[in-house]
Amino acid sequence: MSDLLTLAGSAIGVLAMVGAAMALGFRARAHLTEADLSSIAAEEGRSLQDSLIAPDARCALARLADGAVLVARALGDGVSARIIPASAVRVTLQKGGLRVALADIGYPPIQLRLPQAPPAWAVAMARGGAA
Amino acid sequence: MKTPIEPPFEIPDIVTFAVPGFILLIMAEMLYVRATGRGRYQFADSASSLWMGFGNQVAKVLLGGLVVASYFWVAHFRVFDLGWTWPVLAACFFAEDLAYYWFHRISHERRWFWASHVVHHSSQHYNLTTALRQTWTGALGLAFIFWLPLVWIGFPPIMVLMFQAISLVYQFWIHTETIDRLGPLEWVLNTPSHHRVHHAINPRYLDANYAGVLIIWDRLFGTFVSETKDEKIRYGIITQLGAFNPFRIAFHEWAGIWRDVTHAKSTREALGFLFGPPGWSPDGSRKTSASLKAAWAAQQSIGAATE
Repeated sequence: MSDLLTLAGSAIGVLAMVGAAMALGFRARAHLTEADLSSIAAEEGRSLQDSLIAPDARCALARLADGAVLVARALGDGVSARIIPASAVRVTLQKGGLRVALADIGYPPIQLRLPQAPPAWAVAMARGGAA
Repeated sequence: MKTPIEPPFEIPDIVTFAVPGFILLIMAEMLYVRATGRGRYQFADSASSLWMGFGNQVAKVLLGGLVVASYFWVAHFRVFDLGWTWPVLAACFFAEDLAYYWFHRISHERRWFWASHVVHHSSQHYNLTTALRQTWTGALGLAFIFWLPLVWIGFPPIMVLMFQAISLVYQFWIHTETIDRLGPLEWVLNTPSHHRVHHAINPRYLDANYAGVLIIWDRLFGTFVSETKDEKIRYGIITQLGAFNPFRIAFHEWAGIWRDVTHAKSTREALGFLFGPPGWSPDGSRKTSASLKAAWAAQQSIGAATE
């Protein structure tokens, strides 16, 4: 019983602290740009060939010059990216965009909503062709 | 006849007693960051850290008994009857801190233990809520084995648990960017500056400053690195997590181990994935701290040679 009371108290404490963080305006959100993607690729000594950035700039898919794929998502005010072989990414065409999935459970699939049809290189990836 | 291993006085649940203090200090840090712009908060990041802390408490309720039971079981085989005296308390403080150092170092150097500890490093922020981003799988991952030798030597189990709790509470306040260096205390104590280095992913800072309370162990065992103002610290893990979901945070590395071990081509590979350094792979294609540090050092020496 005392454990349950302690946990209940902690849960209330968590909600209070999250509420305070929101009330104080700690809601900064990162927005991805092509420059960000180029910089992430350059850190690995690679260069960007083509990129697709979601209209809300919260996620992106890019093809690198060496054939690898860059997947990026804004995470709060930070960015989380993966550079992986094209064969390790599962791209699915969906109505209004693309779904990009990785095997890593620490990196949930990204949903790229696109205002127009995806470019040929992304379609080729979805069909299992070379990026 | 053996000296009783039970404490001669009632010891409160130190961590639970500290929780109101944690909440007040987090609120105070948020206000300070808002007012000065020094430090960084993001509510979704903080929410995931805090829910990880909550989950850690739940895990302790469910599995903490296993840890305590294992301490008392090992105490049956203790070599000495140290009992509850002031000199033993002082010795236990140092012994517990040394055990913490090795627990922490091995948690960074071996993937089995890293799978639990990675949770604490998975935020790209460094503030007091990061301190509460704690594992849910520590007991299942057998992290407690690093303290069993203390009980085997003869330190009373409750005394060891008490100093573990004190160490945990001590380490709360060092998770902040709002406190600069602390003068001569930097020589002896683990401080915000030393611990920022520990949480950094800049290659120059990788695998450093494992201390709990006393930084002397890092100085002694060659893992001490001082904070420099030349380079902005980046926090998190080398392959940054792509989620705030607490369940993904808690289990992603275990899932990665499972995936790697089930695809291993030999027992040696499977053991490498389980107990090798985080990032180990049979063909060396993945990044480890050692490979990143080596690449950085090579870059530095090329830079120095061309100047």
